[in-house]
Amino acid sequence: MSLAGDRRLRILNLLVRDGGIEPETRRICNVSAKVTGMTGAGIMLMSDDVPQRSICTTDSVASLIEQLQLTLGEGPCVDAHNLQRPVLEPDLAQPARARWFGFAPPAVEAGARAVFGFPIRIGAARLGALNLYRDEPGPMGDEQHAEALVMSDVAAEAVMLFQSNAPPEMLAAELEAGDGLHYLVHQATGMIAAQLEVSVGHAMIRLRAYAFANDRPLREVAQDVLARKLRFHPESGENDPGS
Amino acid sequence: MTMTNSTESPMPREAVLAGTLVQLADSLVADFDVVDLLTVLVDRSVEVLSVDAAGLMLVAPDGDLRVMASSSEMMRVLELFEIQAREGPCLDCYHSGRPVVNQDLEASHGRWPRFTLEALAAGFQSVHALPMRLRGSVIGALNLFSHEPGELDQADIVAGQALADVATIAILHQRAAAEAQILNEQLNYALNSRVVIEQAKGMIAERAGLNVEEAFSILRNHARNHNLRLVEVARDVIEGTLAASALDQPQTAKPS
Repeated sequence: MSLAGDRRLRILNLLVRDGGIEPETRRICNVSAKVTGMTGAGIMLMSDDVPQRSICTTDSVASLIEQLQLTLGEGPCVDAHNLQRPVLEPDLAQPARARWFGFAPPAVEAGARAVFGFPIRIGAARLGALNLYRDEPGPMGDEQHAEALVMSDVAAEAVMLFQSNAPPEMLAAELEAGDGLHYLVHQATGMIAAQLEVSVGHAMIRLRAYAFANDRPLREVAQDVLARKLRFHPESGENDPGS
Repeated sequence: MTMTNSTESPMPREAVLAGTLVQLADSLVADFDVVDLLTVLVDRSVEVLSVDAAGLMLVAPDGDLRVMASSSEMMRVLELFEIQAREGPCLDCYHSGRPVVNQDLEASHGRWPRFTLEALAAGFQSVHALPMRLRGSVIGALNLFSHEPGELDQADIVAGQALADVATIAILHQRAAAEAQILNEQLNYALNSRVVIEQAKGMIAERAGLNVEEAFSILRNHARNHNLRLVEVARDVIEGTLAASALDQPQTAKPS
Protein backbone atom coordinates (compact mmCIF):
# COMPACT_ATOMS: atom_id res chain seq x y z
CA MET A 1 0.00 0.00 0.00
CA SER A 2 1.21 3.52 -0.73
CA LEU A 3 2.30 5.94 1.96
CA ALA A 4 -0.83 8.04 1.49
CA GLY A 5 -2.88 4.85 1.71
CA ASP A 6 -1.22 4.00 5.04
CA ARG A 7 -1.96 7.46 6.41
CA ARG A 8 -5.52 7.22 5.27
CA LEU A 9 -6.06 3.86 6.88
CA ARG A 10 -4.59 5.08 10.17
CA ILE A 11 -6.82 8.19 10.12
CA LEU A 12 -9.93 6.13 9.41
CA ASN A 13 -8.98 3.80 12.28
CA LEU A 14 -8.67 6.78 14.62
CA LEU A 15 -12.05 8.08 13.51
CA VAL A 16 -13.72 4.76 14.20
CA ARG A 17 -11.90 4.03 17.45
CA ASP A 18 -12.47 7.43 19.04
CA GLY A 19 -16.19 6.81 18.74
CA GLY A 20 -18.31 7.56 21.76
CA ILE A 21 -21.16 10.01 21.95
CA GLU A 22 -19.52 12.94 20.20
CA PRO A 23 -20.99 14.04 16.88
CA GLU A 24 -19.08 12.68 13.87
CA THR A 25 -18.01 16.11 12.71
CA ARG A 26 -16.45 16.88 16.08
CA ARG A 27 -14.51 13.62 15.89
CA ILE A 28 -13.15 14.60 12.48
CA CYS A 29 -11.91 17.88 13.96
CA ASN A 30 -10.32 16.13 16.94
CA VAL A 31 -8.51 13.62 14.72
CA SER A 32 -7.39 16.45 12.39
CA ALA A 33 -5.66 18.21 15.29
CA LYS A 34 -4.21 14.95 16.59
CA VAL A 35 -2.62 13.61 13.41
CA THR A 36 -1.14 16.99 12.44
CA GLY A 37 0.21 17.67 15.94
CA MET A 38 -1.75 20.93 16.20
CA THR A 39 -3.41 22.57 19.18
CA GLY A 40 -6.81 22.67 17.53
CA ALA A 41 -8.78 22.39 14.30
CA GLY A 42 -12.02 23.46 12.67
CA ILE A 43 -13.86 22.76 9.43
CA MET A 44 -15.57 25.49 7.43
CA LEU A 45 -18.02 24.90 4.61
CA MET A 46 -17.88 27.54 1.91
CA SER A 47 -19.96 28.33 -1.13
CA ASP A 48 -19.59 31.08 -3.72
CA ASP A 49 -16.18 31.93 -2.19
CA VAL A 50 -17.90 32.95 1.07
CA PRO A 51 -17.52 31.14 4.39
CA GLN A 52 -20.95 29.66 5.08
CA ARG A 53 -20.82 27.63 8.25
CA SER A 54 -18.41 26.10 10.67
CA ILE A 55 -19.38 22.45 11.10
CA CYS A 56 -17.01 21.65 13.97
CA THR A 57 -14.23 23.04 16.13
CA THR A 58 -12.07 21.38 18.79
CA ASP A 59 -11.95 24.25 21.29
CA SER A 60 -12.80 27.90 21.91
CA VAL A 61 -9.75 29.27 20.07
CA ALA A 62 -10.53 27.17 16.98
CA SER A 63 -14.11 28.40 17.27
CA LEU A 64 -12.94 32.03 17.40
CA ILE A 65 -10.71 31.45 14.35
CA GLU A 66 -13.77 30.29 12.40
CA GLN A 67 -16.03 33.03 13.76
CA LEU A 68 -13.54 35.73 12.79
CA GLN A 69 -13.42 34.36 9.26
CA LEU A 70 -17.21 34.24 9.09
CA THR A 71 -17.36 37.83 10.33
CA LEU A 72 -14.54 39.32 8.31
CA GLY A 73 -14.45 37.10 5.24
CA GLU A 74 -10.65 36.76 5.52
CA GLY A 75 -8.18 34.32 7.01
CA PRO A 76 -6.37 31.06 6.24
CA CYS A 77 -9.38 28.95 5.33
CA VAL A 78 -10.90 31.65 3.11
CA ASP A 79 -7.59 31.93 1.23
CA ALA A 80 -7.09 28.16 1.07
CA HIS A 81 -10.56 27.79 -0.45
CA ASN A 82 -10.18 30.64 -2.93
CA LEU A 83 -6.62 29.78 -4.00
CA GLN A 84 -7.27 26.00 -3.89
CA ARG A 85 -3.97 25.29 -2.19
CA PRO A 86 -2.67 25.05 1.39
CA VAL A 87 -2.14 28.44 3.04
CA LEU A 88 0.53 28.39 5.74
CA GLU A 89 1.26 31.10 8.31
CA PRO A 90 3.91 29.82 10.74
CA ASP A 91 4.08 33.08 12.69
CA LEU A 92 0.78 34.93 12.84
CA ALA A 93 2.14 37.59 15.25
CA GLN A 94 5.12 38.44 13.02
CA PRO A 95 4.26 37.24 9.54
CA ALA A 96 6.82 37.47 6.76
CA ARG A 97 4.15 39.06 4.59
CA ALA A 98 1.49 41.20 6.24
CA ARG A 99 -2.04 39.95 5.56
CA TRP A 100 -5.37 39.47 7.30
CA PHE A 101 -5.36 42.86 9.08
CA GLY A 102 -8.72 42.23 10.69
CA PHE A 103 -8.24 38.53 11.43
CA ALA A 104 -4.67 38.35 12.77
CA PRO A 105 -4.71 40.62 15.89
CA PRO A 106 -7.69 39.02 17.68
CA ALA A 107 -6.58 35.51 16.66
CA VAL A 108 -3.08 36.10 18.10
CA GLU A 109 -4.56 37.63 21.23
CA ALA A 110 -6.70 34.51 21.74
CA GLY A 111 -3.59 32.33 21.51
CA ALA A 112 -3.29 31.24 17.87
CA ARG A 113 0.40 31.75 17.00
CA ALA A 114 0.52 29.69 13.79
CA VAL A 115 -2.43 29.01 11.45
CA PHE A 116 -2.77 26.69 8.46
CA GLY A 117 -5.62 26.29 5.97
CA PHE A 118 -6.12 23.27 3.67
CA PRO A 119 -8.79 23.17 0.95
CA ILE A 120 -11.44 20.47 1.30
CA ARG A 121 -12.43 19.23 -2.15
CA ILE A 122 -13.23 16.20 -4.26
CA GLY A 123 -12.15 16.54 -7.87
CA ALA A 124 -13.50 19.86 -9.06
CA ALA A 125 -16.04 20.08 -6.22
CA ARG A 126 -14.81 22.72 -3.74
CA LEU A 127 -16.42 22.30 -0.33
CA GLY A 128 -14.51 24.50 2.10
CA ALA A 129 -11.37 24.29 4.18
CA LEU A 130 -9.72 22.68 7.18
CA ASN A 131 -8.38 25.21 9.71
CA LEU A 132 -5.48 24.20 11.92
CA TYR A 133 -3.77 26.27 14.60
CA ARG A 134 -0.94 25.91 17.07
CA ASP A 135 -0.35 27.91 20.27
CA GLU A 136 3.35 28.14 19.38
CA PRO A 137 4.81 29.77 16.26
CA GLY A 138 6.73 27.57 13.83
CA PRO A 139 6.39 25.92 10.43
CA MET A 140 4.55 22.72 9.73
CA GLY A 141 6.78 19.66 9.32
CA ASP A 142 6.68 17.64 6.09
CA GLU A 143 5.07 14.78 7.97
CA GLN A 144 2.37 17.03 9.46
CA HIS A 145 1.75 18.61 6.05
CA ALA A 146 1.27 15.18 4.48
CA GLU A 147 -1.14 14.20 7.26
CA ALA A 148 -3.14 17.40 6.77
CA LEU A 149 -3.51 16.69 3.03
CA VAL A 150 -4.86 13.19 3.63
CA MET A 151 -7.04 14.48 6.48
CA SER A 152 -8.66 17.11 4.26
CA ASP A 153 -9.48 14.39 1.70
CA VAL A 154 -11.09 12.28 4.42
CA ALA A 155 -13.06 15.33 5.59
CA ALA A 156 -14.27 15.94 2.02
CA GLU A 157 -15.49 12.36 1.72
CA ALA A 158 -17.23 12.60 5.10
CA VAL A 159 -19.05 15.81 4.11
CA MET A 160 -20.18 14.18 0.86
CA LEU A 161 -21.27 11.04 2.68
CA PHE A 162 -23.32 13.04 5.19
CA GLN A 163 -24.93 15.15 2.49
CA SER A 164 -25.68 12.18 0.23
CA ASN A 165 -28.12 10.90 2.87
CA ALA A 166 -29.87 14.25 3.36
CA PRO A 167 -33.38 14.85 2.02
CA PRO A 168 -33.41 16.96 -1.16
CA GLU A 169 -32.74 20.67 -0.61
CA MET A 170 -31.91 20.08 3.05
CA LEU A 171 -28.59 20.28 4.78
CA ALA A 172 -27.55 16.94 6.36
CA ALA A 173 -28.26 16.76 10.10
CA GLU A 174 -24.57 16.05 10.76
CA LEU A 175 -23.64 19.33 9.08
CA GLU A 176 -26.31 21.20 11.04
CA ALA A 177 -24.69 20.02 14.27
CA GLY A 178 -22.33 23.00 14.45
CA ASP A 179 -23.17 25.88 16.76
CA GLY A 180 -26.16 28.13 16.13
CA LEU A 181 -24.11 31.19 15.24
CA HIS A 182 -25.16 31.12 11.64
CA TYR A 183 -28.88 31.08 12.29
CA LEU A 184 -28.66 33.99 14.69
CA VAL A 185 -26.57 36.04 12.31
CA HIS A 186 -28.85 35.42 9.33
CA GLN A 187 -31.99 36.06 11.36
CA ALA A 188 -30.51 39.32 12.67
CA THR A 189 -29.55 40.24 9.10
CA GLY A 190 -33.21 39.85 8.07
CA MET A 191 -34.32 42.08 10.94
CA ILE A 192 -31.77 44.76 10.10
CA ALA A 193 -32.80 44.68 6.42
CA ALA A 194 -36.38 45.43 7.55
CA GLN A 195 -35.22 48.17 9.92
CA LEU A 196 -33.11 49.93 7.30
CA GLU A 197 -35.28 49.06 4.25
CA VAL A 198 -32.20 47.73 2.47
CA SER A 199 -31.23 44.42 0.87
CA VAL A 200 -30.06 41.53 3.06
CA GLY A 201 -26.61 41.86 1.47
CA HIS A 202 -26.38 45.45 2.62
CA ALA A 203 -27.78 44.55 6.05
CA MET A 204 -25.10 41.88 6.48
CA ILE A 205 -22.36 44.44 5.75
CA ARG A 206 -23.85 46.82 8.34
CA LEU A 207 -24.00 44.06 10.95
CA ARG A 208 -20.41 42.97 10.34
CA ALA A 209 -19.17 46.56 10.30
CA TYR A 210 -20.90 47.24 13.63
CA ALA A 211 -19.37 44.13 15.23
CA PHE A 212 -15.92 45.00 13.92
CA ALA A 213 -16.08 48.72 14.88
CA ASN A 214 -17.24 47.88 18.40
CA ASP A 215 -14.83 44.98 18.74
CA ARG A 216 -17.62 42.57 19.64
CA PRO A 217 -18.26 39.01 18.43
CA LEU A 218 -20.75 38.81 15.60
CA ARG A 219 -22.85 36.29 17.53
CA GLU A 220 -23.23 38.63 20.48
CA VAL A 221 -24.30 41.55 18.31
CA ALA A 222 -26.77 39.31 16.47
CA GLN A 223 -28.23 38.17 19.79
CA ASP A 224 -28.74 41.81 20.82
CA VAL A 225 -30.55 42.53 17.57
CA LEU A 226 -32.81 39.50 18.02
CA ALA A 227 -33.50 40.44 21.66
CA ARG A 228 -34.37 43.92 20.37
CA LYS A 229 -31.67 45.51 22.48
CA LEU A 230 -30.07 46.96 19.38
CA ARG A 231 -31.72 48.65 16.40
CA PHE A 232 -30.22 50.06 13.24
CA HIS A 233 -31.51 53.44 12.02
CA PRO A 234 -31.43 54.49 8.39
CA GLU A 235 -30.86 58.27 8.71
CA SER A 236 -28.17 58.75 11.30
CA GLY A 237 -26.40 55.46 10.66
CA GLU A 238 -26.13 55.21 14.43
CA ASN A 239 -27.39 52.32 16.39
CA ASP A 240 -28.89 52.58 19.82
CA PRO A 241 -30.49 50.23 22.24
CA GLY A 242 -34.18 49.74 21.63
CA SER A 243 -36.59 50.93 24.27
CA MET B 1 19.00 4.62 -24.08
CA THR B 2 17.80 6.07 -27.35
CA MET B 3 14.30 7.15 -28.22
CA THR B 4 13.98 4.49 -30.94
CA ASN B 5 14.56 1.10 -29.49
CA SER B 6 12.97 -0.91 -32.25
CA THR B 7 16.35 -2.08 -33.60
CA GLU B 8 17.83 -2.66 -30.17
CA SER B 9 16.72 -5.34 -27.78
CA PRO B 10 13.20 -4.22 -26.85
CA MET B 11 12.16 -3.72 -23.23
CA PRO B 12 10.53 -6.86 -21.88
CA ARG B 13 6.81 -6.68 -22.37
CA GLU B 14 6.18 -6.99 -18.65
CA ALA B 15 8.30 -3.89 -18.04
CA VAL B 16 6.35 -1.87 -20.62
CA LEU B 17 3.09 -3.12 -19.18
CA ALA B 18 4.10 -2.29 -15.60
CA GLY B 19 5.29 1.16 -16.70
CA THR B 20 2.00 1.73 -18.48
CA LEU B 21 -0.06 0.73 -15.47
CA VAL B 22 1.96 3.04 -13.21
CA GLN B 23 1.60 5.91 -15.67
CA LEU B 24 -2.15 5.38 -15.93
CA ALA B 25 -2.56 5.12 -12.15
CA ASP B 26 -0.59 8.35 -11.73
CA SER B 27 -2.94 10.05 -14.18
CA LEU B 28 -5.94 9.31 -11.97
CA VAL B 29 -5.73 12.64 -10.19
CA ALA B 30 -8.31 15.38 -9.86
CA ASP B 31 -9.37 17.04 -13.11
CA PHE B 32 -7.85 14.39 -15.38
CA ASP B 33 -9.40 14.11 -18.81
CA VAL B 34 -10.86 10.67 -19.32
CA VAL B 35 -10.60 10.75 -23.14
CA ASP B 36 -6.90 11.71 -22.94
CA LEU B 37 -6.29 8.87 -20.53
CA LEU B 38 -8.13 6.31 -22.69
CA THR B 39 -6.17 7.49 -25.73
CA VAL B 40 -2.89 6.79 -23.89
CA LEU B 41 -4.30 3.41 -23.01
CA VAL B 42 -5.15 2.35 -26.56
CA ASP B 43 -1.77 3.59 -27.85
CA ARG B 44 0.01 1.52 -25.20
CA SER B 45 -2.17 -1.49 -25.97
CA VAL B 46 -0.83 -1.47 -29.52
CA GLU B 47 2.72 -1.35 -28.18
CA VAL B 48 2.40 -3.90 -25.39
CA LEU B 49 0.24 -6.46 -27.18
CA SER B 50 1.92 -6.26 -30.61
CA VAL B 51 -1.28 -5.49 -32.44
CA ASP B 52 -1.76 -2.92 -35.20
CA ALA B 53 -4.76 -0.98 -33.99
CA ALA B 54 -6.75 -0.69 -30.77
CA GLY B 55 -9.93 1.05 -29.75
CA LEU B 56 -12.14 1.41 -26.72
CA MET B 57 -15.90 1.23 -26.98
CA LEU B 58 -18.27 2.19 -24.19
CA VAL B 59 -21.97 1.62 -23.87
CA ALA B 60 -23.89 4.91 -24.07
CA PRO B 61 -27.00 5.62 -21.95
CA ASP B 62 -29.16 4.60 -24.93
CA GLY B 63 -27.51 1.15 -24.88
CA ASP B 64 -25.45 1.58 -28.06
CA LEU B 65 -21.70 1.07 -28.13
CA ARG B 66 -19.74 4.21 -29.00
CA VAL B 67 -16.04 4.60 -29.71
CA MET B 68 -14.27 6.56 -26.95
CA ALA B 69 -10.65 6.27 -28.06
CA SER B 70 -8.78 4.84 -31.06
CA SER B 71 -5.08 4.35 -31.75
CA SER B 72 -5.72 5.20 -35.38
CA GLU B 73 -7.62 8.08 -36.88
CA MET B 74 -7.88 6.34 -40.25
CA MET B 75 -11.41 6.49 -41.57
CA ARG B 76 -11.48 2.78 -42.31
CA VAL B 77 -10.51 1.91 -38.74
CA LEU B 78 -13.03 4.31 -37.24
CA GLU B 79 -15.73 2.81 -39.45
CA LEU B 80 -14.93 -0.60 -38.03
CA PHE B 81 -15.96 0.69 -34.63
CA GLU B 82 -19.13 2.30 -35.96
CA ILE B 83 -20.28 -0.95 -37.51
CA GLN B 84 -19.99 -2.69 -34.16
CA ALA B 85 -22.96 -0.84 -32.77
CA ARG B 86 -24.85 -3.53 -34.72
CA GLU B 87 -22.47 -6.50 -35.18
CA GLY B 88 -18.91 -7.55 -34.43
CA PRO B 89 -16.59 -8.84 -31.71
CA CYS B 90 -17.06 -5.80 -29.42
CA LEU B 91 -20.82 -6.21 -29.40
CA ASP B 92 -20.53 -9.97 -28.73
CA CYS B 93 -18.01 -9.32 -25.97
CA TYR B 94 -20.27 -6.67 -24.45
CA HIS B 95 -23.27 -8.98 -24.49
CA SER B 96 -21.45 -12.06 -23.15
CA GLY B 97 -19.06 -10.31 -20.75
CA ARG B 98 -16.34 -12.69 -21.96
CA PRO B 99 -13.22 -12.16 -24.06
CA VAL B 100 -13.74 -12.71 -27.77
CA VAL B 101 -10.20 -13.54 -28.92
CA ASN B 102 -8.31 -14.97 -31.87
CA GLN B 103 -11.11 -14.49 -34.33
CA ASP B 104 -9.79 -15.41 -37.77
CA LEU B 105 -11.60 -13.03 -40.05
CA GLU B 106 -11.33 -15.30 -43.10
CA ALA B 107 -13.53 -17.76 -41.18
CA SER B 108 -16.04 -15.38 -39.63
CA HIS B 109 -18.11 -14.23 -42.63
CA GLY B 110 -21.19 -15.97 -41.34
CA ARG B 111 -20.98 -14.50 -37.84
CA TRP B 112 -20.38 -10.82 -38.72
CA PRO B 113 -20.90 -10.43 -42.50
CA ARG B 114 -20.57 -6.67 -42.79
CA PHE B 115 -17.87 -6.22 -40.14
CA THR B 116 -15.73 -9.01 -41.66
CA LEU B 117 -15.85 -7.49 -45.14
CA GLU B 118 -14.84 -4.05 -43.89
CA ALA B 119 -12.09 -5.40 -41.59
CA LEU B 120 -10.52 -7.47 -44.39
CA ALA B 121 -10.74 -4.49 -46.74
CA ALA B 122 -8.87 -2.43 -44.13
CA GLY B 123 -6.11 -5.06 -44.15
CA PHE B 124 -6.80 -6.81 -40.85
CA GLN B 125 -6.58 -10.59 -40.48
CA SER B 126 -7.42 -11.14 -36.82
CA VAL B 127 -9.47 -9.34 -34.20
CA HIS B 128 -9.99 -9.52 -30.43
CA ALA B 129 -12.25 -7.89 -27.86
CA LEU B 130 -11.75 -7.82 -24.08
CA PRO B 131 -14.60 -6.82 -21.75
CA MET B 132 -14.54 -3.80 -19.42
CA ARG B 133 -16.25 -5.36 -16.43
CA LEU B 134 -17.57 -3.81 -13.30
CA ARG B 135 -19.27 -5.80 -10.53
CA GLY B 136 -21.16 -8.09 -12.84
CA SER B 137 -22.04 -5.51 -15.45
CA VAL B 138 -20.08 -4.71 -18.59
CA ILE B 139 -19.55 -1.08 -19.54
CA GLY B 140 -17.65 -1.59 -22.80
CA ALA B 141 -14.81 -3.42 -24.51
CA LEU B 142 -11.21 -3.02 -25.63
CA ASN B 143 -10.93 -3.90 -29.31
CA LEU B 144 -7.65 -5.09 -30.88
CA PHE B 145 -6.83 -5.56 -34.61
CA SER B 146 -3.90 -7.32 -36.28
CA HIS B 147 -2.67 -7.34 -39.87
CA GLU B 148 -1.37 -10.88 -39.26
CA PRO B 149 -3.54 -13.91 -38.59
CA GLY B 150 -1.37 -14.71 -35.50
CA GLU B 151 -2.95 -15.51 -32.16
CA LEU B 152 -2.85 -13.77 -28.78
CA ASP B 153 -1.38 -16.13 -26.20
CA GLN B 154 -2.62 -16.41 -22.63
CA ALA B 155 -0.05 -13.85 -21.38
CA ASP B 156 -1.24 -11.35 -24.01
CA ILE B 157 -4.84 -11.84 -22.94
CA VAL B 158 -3.98 -11.31 -19.27
CA ALA B 159 -1.99 -8.17 -20.13
CA GLY B 160 -4.79 -6.84 -22.35
CA GLN B 161 -7.36 -7.50 -19.67
CA ALA B 162 -5.21 -5.59 -17.14
CA LEU B 163 -5.24 -2.59 -19.48
CA ALA B 164 -9.00 -2.87 -19.96
CA ASP B 165 -9.43 -3.00 -16.16
CA VAL B 166 -7.40 0.17 -15.70
CA ALA B 167 -9.60 1.88 -18.28
CA THR B 168 -12.65 0.77 -16.29
CA ILE B 169 -11.19 2.23 -13.09
CA ALA B 170 -10.45 5.52 -14.88
CA ILE B 171 -14.03 5.80 -16.07
CA LEU B 172 -15.44 4.98 -12.63
CA HIS B 173 -13.15 7.54 -11.08
CA GLN B 174 -14.42 10.18 -13.46
CA ARG B 175 -18.05 9.24 -12.80
CA ALA B 176 -17.44 9.48 -9.05
CA ALA B 177 -15.98 12.96 -9.57
CA ALA B 178 -19.04 13.97 -11.59
CA GLU B 179 -21.31 12.68 -8.82
CA ALA B 180 -19.30 14.63 -6.26
CA GLN B 181 -19.87 17.75 -8.35
CA ILE B 182 -23.65 17.21 -8.34
CA LEU B 183 -23.63 16.54 -4.60
CA ASN B 184 -21.61 19.71 -4.08
CA GLU B 185 -24.21 21.72 -5.99
CA GLN B 186 -26.93 20.23 -3.78
CA LEU B 187 -24.87 21.07 -0.72
CA ASN B 188 -24.46 24.66 -1.87
CA TYR B 189 -28.16 24.88 -2.58
CA ALA B 190 -29.00 23.54 0.89
CA LEU B 191 -26.55 25.95 2.53
CA ASN B 192 -27.97 28.91 0.66
CA SER B 193 -31.58 27.85 1.24
CA ARG B 194 -30.91 27.76 4.95
CA VAL B 195 -29.50 31.29 4.87
CA VAL B 196 -32.47 32.64 2.89
CA ILE B 197 -35.01 31.05 5.25
CA GLU B 198 -33.27 32.42 8.36
CA GLN B 199 -33.11 35.89 6.84
CA ALA B 200 -36.81 35.78 5.96
CA LYS B 201 -37.64 34.72 9.52
CA GLY B 202 -35.77 37.77 10.85
CA MET B 203 -37.45 40.08 8.37
CA ILE B 204 -40.98 38.81 9.18
CA ALA B 205 -40.21 38.96 12.92
CA GLU B 206 -39.16 42.60 12.60
CA ARG B 207 -42.10 43.70 10.45
CA ALA B 208 -44.77 41.82 12.41
CA GLY B 209 -43.29 42.37 15.87
CA LEU B 210 -42.95 38.63 16.55
CA ASN B 211 -40.18 36.36 17.72
CA VAL B 212 -38.41 34.21 15.15
CA GLU B 213 -40.29 31.00 16.02
CA GLU B 214 -43.63 32.75 15.40
CA ALA B 215 -42.22 34.24 12.21
CA PHE B 216 -41.22 30.77 11.05
CA SER B 217 -44.68 29.28 11.64
CA ILE B 218 -46.17 32.08 9.51
CA LEU B 219 -43.66 31.36 6.76
CA ARG B 220 -44.27 27.61 6.87
CA ASN B 221 -48.04 28.01 7.03
CA HIS B 222 -48.06 30.27 3.98
CA ALA B 223 -45.88 27.84 2.02
CA ARG B 224 -48.22 24.93 2.87
CA ASN B 225 -51.43 26.82 2.08
CA HIS B 226 -50.12 27.88 -1.31
CA ASN B 227 -48.32 24.64 -2.06
CA LEU B 228 -45.02 26.46 -2.42
CA ARG B 229 -41.60 25.47 -1.24
CA LEU B 230 -40.42 27.16 1.93
CA VAL B 231 -37.33 28.55 0.26
CA GLU B 232 -39.40 30.11 -2.56
CA VAL B 233 -41.61 31.99 -0.12
CA ALA B 234 -38.55 33.02 1.91
CA ARG B 235 -36.82 34.34 -1.19
CA ASP B 236 -39.89 36.36 -2.20
CA VAL B 237 -40.00 37.85 1.28
CA ILE B 238 -36.36 38.96 1.35
CA GLU B 239 -36.51 40.27 -2.20
CA GLY B 240 -39.55 42.34 -1.29
CA THR B 241 -41.88 40.80 -3.91
CA LEU B 242 -44.00 39.33 -1.09
CA ALA B 243 -44.81 41.68 1.79
CA ALA B 244 -44.58 40.17 5.27
CA SER B 245 -48.10 41.49 5.94
CA ALA B 246 -49.45 39.56 2.94
CA LEU B 247 -48.49 36.18 4.44
CA ASP B 248 -51.28 33.94 5.73
CA GLN B 249 -51.60 33.93 9.50
CA PRO B 250 -51.54 30.45 11.04
CA GLN B 251 -54.55 29.47 13.12
CA THR B 252 -52.34 28.71 16.09
CA ALA B 253 -51.11 32.33 16.09
CA LYS B 254 -54.57 33.62 17.05
CA PRO B 255 -54.59 35.31 20.44
CA SER B 256 -56.15 33.01 22.97
